[in-house]
Amino acid sequence: MSKTVCPRCATGGALDDYQGKEGGKVVWTIHRCPTCCFSWRDSEPASAIGIGTRSADFAVDAANFDRYVKILQQ
Amino acid sequence: MMQDLAKRSRSITSLRDFLELLGDAGQAITWSERVMPEPDVRNIAVAASRDANGAPAIVFDNIAGYPGKRTAVGVHGSWDNIALLLGRPKGTTIRELFFEIAGRWGDAAAQISTVPEGQAPVHECRIESGINLYDVLPVYRINEFDGGFYLGKASVASRDPEDPDNFGKQNVGIYRLQLQGPDSFTLMTIPSHDMGKQIMAAERTGLPLKIAVMLGNHPGLAVFAATPIGYEESEYSYASAMMGAPIRLTRSGNGIDILADSEIVIEAEMQLGERVLEGPFGEFPGSYSGVRKAPIFKVTAISHRKNPIFENIYIGRGWTEHDTLIGLHTSAPIYAQLRQNFPEVTAVNALYQHGLTGIISVKNRMAGFAKTVALRALSTPHGVMYLKNLIMVDADVDPFDLNQVMWALSTRTRADDIIVLPNMPAVPIDPSAVVPGKGHRLIIDATSYLPPDPVGEAHLVTPPTGPDIDELSKKIRAMQLGAVQ
Repeated sequence: MSKTVCPRCATGGALDDYQGKEGGKVVWTIHRCPTCCFSWRDSEPASAIGIGTRSADFAVDAANFDRYVKILQQ
Repeated sequence: MMQDLAKRSRSITSLRDFLELLGDAGQAITWSERVMPEPDVRNIAVAASRDANGAPAIVFDNIAGYPGKRTAVGVHGSWDNIALLLGRPKGTTIRELFFEIAGRWGDAAAQISTVPEGQAPVHECRIESGINLYDVLPVYRINEFDGGFYLGKASVASRDPEDPDNFGKQNVGIYRLQLQGPDSFTLMTIPSHDMGKQIMAAERTGLPLKIAVMLGNHPGLAVFAATPIGYEESEYSYASAMMGAPIRLTRSGNGIDILADSEIVIEAEMQLGERVLEGPFGEFPGSYSGVRKAPIFKVTAISHRKNPIFENIYIGRGWTEHDTLIGLHTSAPIYAQLRQNFPEVTAVNALYQHGLTGIISVKNRMAGFAKTVALRALSTPHGVMYLKNLIMVDADVDPFDLNQVMWALSTRTRADDIIVLPNMPAVPIDPSAVVPGKGHRLIIDATSYLPPDPVGEAHLVTPPTGPDIDELSKKIRAMQLGAVQ
């Protein structure tokens, strides 16, 4: 399990989905949190992906997924 | 000149054709200075959106980490671009574009041609194994707090899972898609949309639901597929009829009719019964949607043209490309529906936030008549959920000219004669809602008073108006531009 922590739900274990490369050199990596499904690029500004600097208004509560409505129920 | 433009408009078969046309008219630019995916692409798209009349499409070809890939934004991002799509010159007024579209309603037949799969440009390159969407799509975060990387301008085609051979019951619609890893994405819809109906039918019956996601499409499809038409009507046929031009279709690898000349097509199958977290997403009212559990699709193949162009949209707090893309097609159906009962209605402007505010011009049949028309507008299919604030103006006021609308508000409104209808249904993503899905409606009658209402003593100035003055206005502008050159 990776040590990369999700900036949205603060859970570890984020996956590496893709690396942008130029001339063989990695210029950024796209991560994805398997817990809250947040995806981010490690080159984004800290206001969007920094732990502690990102707005708490957009945090996801990993301990309380029941609060999120399931769409298209029969 | 006008005939040439109309002919060229009808000859468009692809995004590439349209970008070339826009480029020739000075309405497309290539951004070759190196940019970061975030925040640069968003910043440039937002800056372009400030010019609702004249913004160009922008093609980025030097995005950090995406060597050799291209992204286009703002293809439908200005009235001049919409005018060129409709075969009209730059500088065509919004009012003229409105009547261009309203006039095309139901007056032409669809022309659908079929291209064998082996000859369709969209199938030039094919990926069936080792799929990673990020290999093909130079995505970026559209708004800062979106939950992931979104495809904001994808036309999604699907067959009715219970009637898969029915051409008319194929659905094509624009839905927001969030990438959920290298080979998956979520799709957001609601039960009343065609895709919502098909997802619920598939899950009820256990039948598979396969879709084809078209990116970088014929520019007419993006405009006309967003128009709500009947479930059994084909969006392809409708788009062809409205463009007055043929639409070229082919088959996707999973058996769905797709545009033969799209840049990229992603084939996918819904994972029945599965839901994962989707959102937030910065939506058209300029506010974020919430986080919800949405259906997830697994990608089975990708087709694309050589050196494909990934087309996306900036959507958020207006004015944005979204407003230009769907504004006239929000307005025209309301106009057509009102005119069935009330021929006194002369124009409908529902450009603002998908019609959260609408302005209707009407010739009063009798005192108070504009209010009756306003109530009818609230009961049109779009009005039921969206028309929150209605401003009623006289027929001599152009609802697309906000200076004239403000004049009507300033000089014809009596503040004790506005109507508030409390606790009406409302579109859930209206950020003013205290309880999402409910809200109040406002009708401002800014039309003239007629007897038996007391009308006061003032007599209005009647300045010259009409087509002659419109032409003089354009002539002055042309002389001014000529003087600069």
